[in-house]
Amino acid sequence: MTVTTSPRGDVAAPARAAGAGRPRRGPATWLRGGGLHSLVFLLPLLVIFGVFSWFPIVRAVIMSVQETNLVTDPTFVGLDNFRHVLADPLLWKAVQNTLYFAFLALLFGYPVPLVAAVLMREVRRGRGLYSALAYLPVVVPPVVAVLLWKFFYKGGPTGVFNTILGWVGLGPYPWLQDASWAMPSLVLAATWAGAGGTVIIYLAALTSVPAELYDASEVDGAGLWRKIWHVTLPQLRGVLFITLILQVIGTAQVFLEPYLFTGGGPNNATVTVLLLIYRYAFQNSLGGDYGAATALSLMLAAVLAVFSVLYFRLTRSWSTS
Amino acid sequence: MKSTRKPAALALVGALTAGALAACSGGGDPQDESTNSAGQVTLSVVSLLPGSTEEAVAAFEDQVAEFEKANPDIDVQPEEYEWKATTFAAQLAGGTLPDVFEIPFTDAQGLVENGQLADMDAQFRALPYAEQFNPTILEAGTGEDGHVYAIPAKNAYPVALHYNRQLFESAGLDPDSPPTTWEQVREYAKKIADANPGVAGYATMTQNNTGGWQLTAQTVARGGRTVETDADQKATATLDNPGTQETLQFLHDLRWEDESMGGNFLLDWGSINQEFAAGQVGMFTSGSDIYTSLVQTNAVDPDTYGLAPIPLSDAPESATLTGGTLAGVPANVDEGVKDAAIKWIDFFYLNKLVDEDRAVADAETLAKNDQPVGTPVLPMFSKEQYELNQEWIADYVNVPLDQMTAFTDAMFDLPLAGEPSQKTQEVYALLDPVVQAVLTDEGADIDALLADANTQAQALLDQG
Amino acid sequence: MTLSSTARPAPASGARRRATPSDDGDRGALSAPDWRRPAVRWGMGGTHVLLLVLLVVVGLGPMLLLAKYAVTPTQDILRTPLALFPHGIAWENLERAWNDVQVSRYFMNTVWLALGSWAVQLVVATTGGYALSVLRPRYGKVVQALVLSTMFVPAVVLLVPLYLTILDPPLLGRSLVDSFWAVWLPAGASAFNVLLVQRFFDNLPREVFEAARVDGAGPYRLFWSIVLPMSKPILGVVSVFAVIAAWKDFLWPLLVLKDPEIQPLSVRLPAIEASTELGVFLAALAISTVLPVAMFLVFQRLFLRGAGLGGAVKG
Repeated sequence: MTVTTSPRGDVAAPARAAGAGRPRRGPATWLRGGGLHSLVFLLPLLVIFGVFSWFPIVRAVIMSVQETNLVTDPTFVGLDNFRHVLADPLLWKAVQNTLYFAFLALLFGYPVPLVAAVLMREVRRGRGLYSALAYLPVVVPPVVAVLLWKFFYKGGPTGVFNTILGWVGLGPYPWLQDASWAMPSLVLAATWAGAGGTVIIYLAALTSVPAELYDASEVDGAGLWRKIWHVTLPQLRGVLFITLILQVIGTAQVFLEPYLFTGGGPNNATVTVLLLIYRYAFQNSLGGDYGAATALSLMLAAVLAVFSVLYFRLTRSWSTS
Repeated sequence: MKSTRKPAALALVGALTAGALAACSGGGDPQDESTNSAGQVTLSVVSLLPGSTEEAVAAFEDQVAEFEKANPDIDVQPEEYEWKATTFAAQLAGGTLPDVFEIPFTDAQGLVENGQLADMDAQFRALPYAEQFNPTILEAGTGEDGHVYAIPAKNAYPVALHYNRQLFESAGLDPDSPPTTWEQVREYAKKIADANPGVAGYATMTQNNTGGWQLTAQTVARGGRTVETDADQKATATLDNPGTQETLQFLHDLRWEDESMGGNFLLDWGSINQEFAAGQVGMFTSGSDIYTSLVQTNAVDPDTYGLAPIPLSDAPESATLTGGTLAGVPANVDEGVKDAAIKWIDFFYLNKLVDEDRAVADAETLAKNDQPVGTPVLPMFSKEQYELNQEWIADYVNVPLDQMTAFTDAMFDLPLAGEPSQKTQEVYALLDPVVQAVLTDEGADIDALLADANTQAQALLDQG
Repeated sequence: MTLSSTARPAPASGARRRATPSDDGDRGALSAPDWRRPAVRWGMGGTHVLLLVLLVVVGLGPMLLLAKYAVTPTQDILRTPLALFPHGIAWENLERAWNDVQVSRYFMNTVWLALGSWAVQLVVATTGGYALSVLRPRYGKVVQALVLSTMFVPAVVLLVPLYLTILDPPLLGRSLVDSFWAVWLPAGASAFNVLLVQRFFDNLPREVFEAARVDGAGPYRLFWSIVLPMSKPILGVVSVFAVIAAWKDFLWPLLVLKDPEIQPLSVRLPAIEASTELGVFLAALAISTVLPVAMFLVFQRLFLRGAGLGGAVKG
């Protein structure tokens, strides 16, 4: 996708210089000079971010070193919550599962949309039909998609998938009903629901590969594979990397699929980190362990922050270069 | 122009933020303000499970209308509700529970200790039949101070065996003689599964703490106990007792040797009811009273339903696990709401058990709307009172009692055992994955799984 | 951060050889001469047919199955899921899903949630972006840094503390649980939107602002009559993201919307899964799918362009 470069620095610079050159003023001149206007315009942002973002983030840090159950007053417990979480045998299971989910999601969800998009780019008639078909699953509400696939995945010979596979002599497979099958089944459904969006993103990026590059490589006598390898893929590098990072950040916080498909089962095979956080906070019928939940979310956040920084750097360099 | 625009714009942004916040306080009515100046009380109460049939809703609305007629100063707001271990805490913390909500026996003590239930002692004592309650049942909702916080309300039930008569017939089994031993359960399950591909001859719950609950029930039926409590209330986890081991081995054999447990091993209370009502499950264990909800939410075909006691082994301490539901009121409501709440509890749950006119009127309303009347439960008062009640409503009973005789004939002679009293739901939660492991992993090491769960359970119990 | 769809270079004059549909400068890796080679034509053509078949099976297949189940009696679904209506068609599934399950209400709730979140996001992003980009108060840098910093905090951190904030929001004195505001207001705290809009405003020509100022336009008129009208493209992008995000949201509404009257589809459908007969439940799923799919088919271009922008803007 082309990101046009407008000379924003040039235009902004004088304004900035003018601002910097302003003399110091008293409150009255501040008001008259428009300080109040800025505040008025910033008010929605300050209120919404203050109440629903900055304050909760600070609160998360505080809660992670407190014991809070909403019944008695919170007490300071130091790093106990972190210790408690790190000592939970389920944590390592959840981390493993989450990594496994991320790995499978990349395995299923990364190459398939790319290949599909590259092929679709070459379609000469009715490309719209291809795009529409690929994108169709994405418009299905995600919860509907999960509940539908849950029904498709029914174990035993009368499940939908098992019946279809039975026609060619395969199965019946346990799908969600087996510790080693459950996670791939979840990822397969998630990929179905999400891959179409990735295809469209790649397709958009492919459309903006300059035709001259292909023309030029043809002058050099390049065949199809060399053109894809030396022109197409390098041009997609940025978008590929960004979808990769977004996918990592997204899969690290996967919740919907394990929650609705399996509730974390069988035998905790699909408990993910976010599901564990949810369990800490909301599972116990007598009141949640909010300290443990926030402690674990902060640890997850620390890991993800690395990816966020990467992502941010990349998009920034993209939009300014 | 400029001068008029500025205030207008200020007002606009102000309205967008402050106004937006003010608008939030418009709808709904918070629990602690339920009594208004005119003395009118708004009382939110548990209505039915989500997704109940139109007939069930109609019957409930009739009852509400009747109550409001008798109590013109109370405005009842029904709210659908299902107690689930996994969602209750959020509702409790979120203050979204109705003014009269239902909890299982297992949770009352913890809620009382946390100060989350209103002290209903004064209101409860004023009930004319307060002294007649079965003391063991009343105890479940009584705090250490001797005050009654949660009131036995909806039901008290033993865990029983539910079976599908139609599937029995399809497998050449006599639907009038349900299995009385676990060996027979296994044998019948195999026959049902063989005769009906895709159907589970026998199934058991595994999710949302119900896996642990039913594992405990089946353990107790084999003479085991999952937690032993000594005289000082010191609790010891005994998950690795022979009864539990035997139960898991039993499940393992049905699942892997007989392949008679179908293809779905992720079931909880609601979903196993649904599978059963859809004819996908031959036999399963659950509270004896689920027929009502099988009709109200799953539209079960009454002809297919059969009820029997849970089979008991020869072990000396084998018993039937009991459970039940209490009605509670959130701690933060005012006296007016508490007074209204006890009137509703009396009207909706209790009075019909001890007052003939009320019993008949209630049964009439339910029967008129094709709702089940006469589902067998444990007597909340004395056995005599229960039988008297059954006589009052005899004309309206519409549940297939003759298909439940195996259970009703035995129900007063069953040896009963209560659920573990400490960290009950948390220990159940630990057992869910154990049951799931046995049903989904052929090589699951039962002893190792139990040893591991036992260590964790003991750690929970030691926290006190 | 302007997203331009017109910036694609015009076809080189030498390449304007013939008017095949695909070669108007909009070419892929294969050139028109390539396409004239039989190996390419058959190879790629065959691959495309195969791809189309796969897309139909994978993209359309599950939905066709869902449509079939929506009108199949429950017992047939359970016993013979792929037989073609062995015991007739059960139209009553649809009727019961519509009347008993009340899909229409939950669908409207979903729409309300999306619209409200959209409005709040737009207000916060445009006013905030305007203040930070055009008015530039001296503390703007601090605010901007604070906004930016929230981008590095994944949503999961907010889950519990935000939930507690909704239970007891400052100054209001009452819980926002069971109110649409509990979803709408937090949706506004999207650093991504603010940043996007701010960068767009940064790129607007300053001369226009100066000219307006000289004409006597105050900051409000500048915002309303000049900046906003010039920002339609970016507002469109923010809108697409806002609506899609609200549409997909599950965990948050699950926590804060306990009252079935106002739950969106995503919360309601799982709640009734176990108490609804399978045929009726699948009919409910089908109805929930028909509406967005229909909208997609009508506004296909808009959807696909929005999704394509997703890569460019998110990326």
